[in-house]
Amino acid sequence: MRRLWLILFAVAIVANPLHAEDRLKVVASFSILGDIVKNVGGDRVDVTTLVGPNSDVHVYAPAPSDAKKVTDAGLLVINGLGLEGWLPRLVQSAGGKATIVTASNGIAPLKLGSQADPHAWQSVVNAKIYVANIRDGLIASDPEDTAVFRTNAERYLAELDGLDAEVRAAIAKIPPERRKVISTHDAFGYFAATYGLEFVAPIGVSTESEPSARDIATLIQQIKADKIPAVFLENLSDDRLIRRIAAETGARVGGTLYSDSLTDEKGPAPTYIALVRHNIKALTSALGS
Amino acid sequence: MAAQLQFRNVTLGYDRHPAVHHLTGDVARGALLAVIGPNGAGKSTLLRGLVGILKPLSGSISLDGLDARDIAYLPQTADIDRSFPISVFDFVGTGLWRATGFFGGIGKAQREKIARALSAVGLSGFENRTIGTLSGGQMQRLLFARVMLQDARMILLDEPFNAIDSRTAADLLLLVKRWHAEGRTVAAALHDMEMVRINFPETLLLARGPVAWGPTSEVLTPENLLVAMRMCEAFDDSAAACVDDPPLQAA
Amino acid sequence: MSLSAALVAPFTDFEFMRRALAAVIALSLGGAPIGVFLMLRRMSLVGDAMAHAILPGAAIGFLLYGLNLLAMILGGLIAGFLVAILAGVVTRSTGLKEDASLATFYLASLALGVTIVSVKGTNIDLLHVLFGDILAMDDQTLLVVAFNATITLVVLAVVYRPLVIESVDPLFLRTVSRAGTPAHLAFLALVVINLVSGFQALGTLLAVGLMILPAGIARFWSRHITGMICVAVLSAILSGYAGLVLSFQTRIPSGPAIILVAAVLYIASVLFGSVGGVVRQLFPGRHLEA
Repeated sequence: MRRLWLILFAVAIVANPLHAEDRLKVVASFSILGDIVKNVGGDRVDVTTLVGPNSDVHVYAPAPSDAKKVTDAGLLVINGLGLEGWLPRLVQSAGGKATIVTASNGIAPLKLGSQADPHAWQSVVNAKIYVANIRDGLIASDPEDTAVFRTNAERYLAELDGLDAEVRAAIAKIPPERRKVISTHDAFGYFAATYGLEFVAPIGVSTESEPSARDIATLIQQIKADKIPAVFLENLSDDRLIRRIAAETGARVGGTLYSDSLTDEKGPAPTYIALVRHNIKALTSALGS
Repeated sequence: MAAQLQFRNVTLGYDRHPAVHHLTGDVARGALLAVIGPNGAGKSTLLRGLVGILKPLSGSISLDGLDARDIAYLPQTADIDRSFPISVFDFVGTGLWRATGFFGGIGKAQREKIARALSAVGLSGFENRTIGTLSGGQMQRLLFARVMLQDARMILLDEPFNAIDSRTAADLLLLVKRWHAEGRTVAAALHDMEMVRINFPETLLLARGPVAWGPTSEVLTPENLLVAMRMCEAFDDSAAACVDDPPLQAA
Repeated sequence: MSLSAALVAPFTDFEFMRRALAAVIALSLGGAPIGVFLMLRRMSLVGDAMAHAILPGAAIGFLLYGLNLLAMILGGLIAGFLVAILAGVVTRSTGLKEDASLATFYLASLALGVTIVSVKGTNIDLLHVLFGDILAMDDQTLLVVAFNATITLVVLAVVYRPLVIESVDPLFLRTVSRAGTPAHLAFLALVVINLVSGFQALGTLLAVGLMILPAGIARFWSRHITGMICVAVLSAILSGYAGLVLSFQTRIPSGPAIILVAAVLYIASVLFGSVGGVVRQLFPGRHLEA
């Protein structure tokens, strides 16, 4: 009789729903990373994101609740490449024992001016590297769930392969001379490099900098000379500048491209895959003849 | 004679402490009144109450229908921004506010009035100077010129001859007399007892409350002055609320 | 490139440059006179304070209507008015001076604004979205700037006299007229309108800079307030024009370029101005006979 109780007790411990609370706490720096982590970690991880949907990760100012999240975290996933300038100080002041995984490890960065371009995730090829890094980081922090992580990662990588093919096929349908686009800020360097679409922008990397009159004038002349067909807006900044450029050059306003953050569930880009799909749809409909 | 001002048991003060305690009396139209007393006696407070800057703590002041625009007030320390880029002419011209209001132009007639006012105070030729370049005495004369232009029925002067040389003071006193001759009611807070004895027919001796009020010769007696000297200048933080005393009589 | 080509061509070739120039002229006409009064009334820092004070209004607009520029501007205007008027009323009815009064209100306002934004859950820098760029003048924004300049000039013409008197001798105005407080409030309202519409059209740096720097310049060239206003307007327009040309020929962003030109003019005025300029003080020339 006592043994039965012992066995029941042991089973109860193992099957105890509290056991599920031992899920690995992961903090992702911004929404796109958060989405990827959720896909790889599944229900074995408890993901919180610092810079949520429709928010600007370049100029984020952390709140004390963010410090708490970092302190409680087991794993911290960041983009790296200088995207999160506000992060080192947050991590230092929050303390805690989280291991830091840099999702962009192993990616040879493109240059933007004199600095590295941090928007590596815009190329789906790079996103697959992100997935690998995140998977390895999760496994290192939570070895018991290695199998789950590997399975999830494989499945997600397959989805990303499909997405990559979609993008290439869509671009192929655009006539080569129309593969040029104006966008508000230089967030699409990696997309351009991987898929052969040319992006020109009046503003540099960050949403903070201001263009000079010369920059605008050069851009306008270039658009006219190269007959660039479309300009695109961004969800996070003032679109009046880009509309003005469109008005003065006769280019079309092609819609909004999402670069640095996901939208919330009701928006068109609630997940990374949805984001890429939305962007490519907007691009092809504006640029296709 | 009709009363221009009527004080009915007026108490004026700051933060509930009385600076002028229970004043009752009348000032006739066209009177020339000197308000005299030691430092802190409440002279400025009284004038501020008359202009309307200070509301009485109790009692009432009746102005016989005069409104703000009929009173010209020359404060003791004016909060004038001397660095402001305005010329003597324009500054004095603001005295014509009653006539010009927001938009009224300064026509030929007004220009002449301004010129006359400036010459009456001895500031002809100063029209284009900025007010920051004037000396203390010149500034005071400028303020007198402005009071002239205001053409008011009642004129209140708070220690107008402080920090002025005696020649200028004598000139300005002539102006005061002229105003009195024109039938305006003039009240001036003053320090100089000799000047009061010679020039002012009526005096109110104040020492945080009225000590004596009437013809100057009857008020400025050694006995009255002694009473005034014994006045306590400081507010008493531990004082109880005032139960109405029978008001001191004015003449 | 010939000088005339450098100075004129950018404006003939590009519409965005013409619009920018029009906007700068409108801003100068409205903002520079306001700036002169601000400087004389020792309120030169009110611009920065106001940039933060408008946040809760913009935040409420954002909360209700999302990233709708019009809603945020209206909200910002209302918040700005409230802060300016409350600060003005407190100054008038208590012993607290203008600067402390405004500081306390704008700080409270800013904190309230940040709180409201955080309720929505996003960190979006509302003010960043709200603040525009002189090179992006669309029709609507140009209209706003022009309208604002017109209103400012009209209202200023009306309250000019009481405003001047109130600035130089407030006690006097209080004793002869009840126009002092309304004139002051009207002035504050103009300040808010100019600032808010300036911010959303041109960003903080330009909106505040083209108000305050020209006033500083004017101080060194005229002894009378009307003269100062004229010099302020002209130097603002000149800075705007030269700044735009500078931004076109070099790669300096336009807002800073305009302000830098204004700053150079200011330094030149400090040194060589006919009223109190340093050089004049050091080398006054022979004194006069009388």
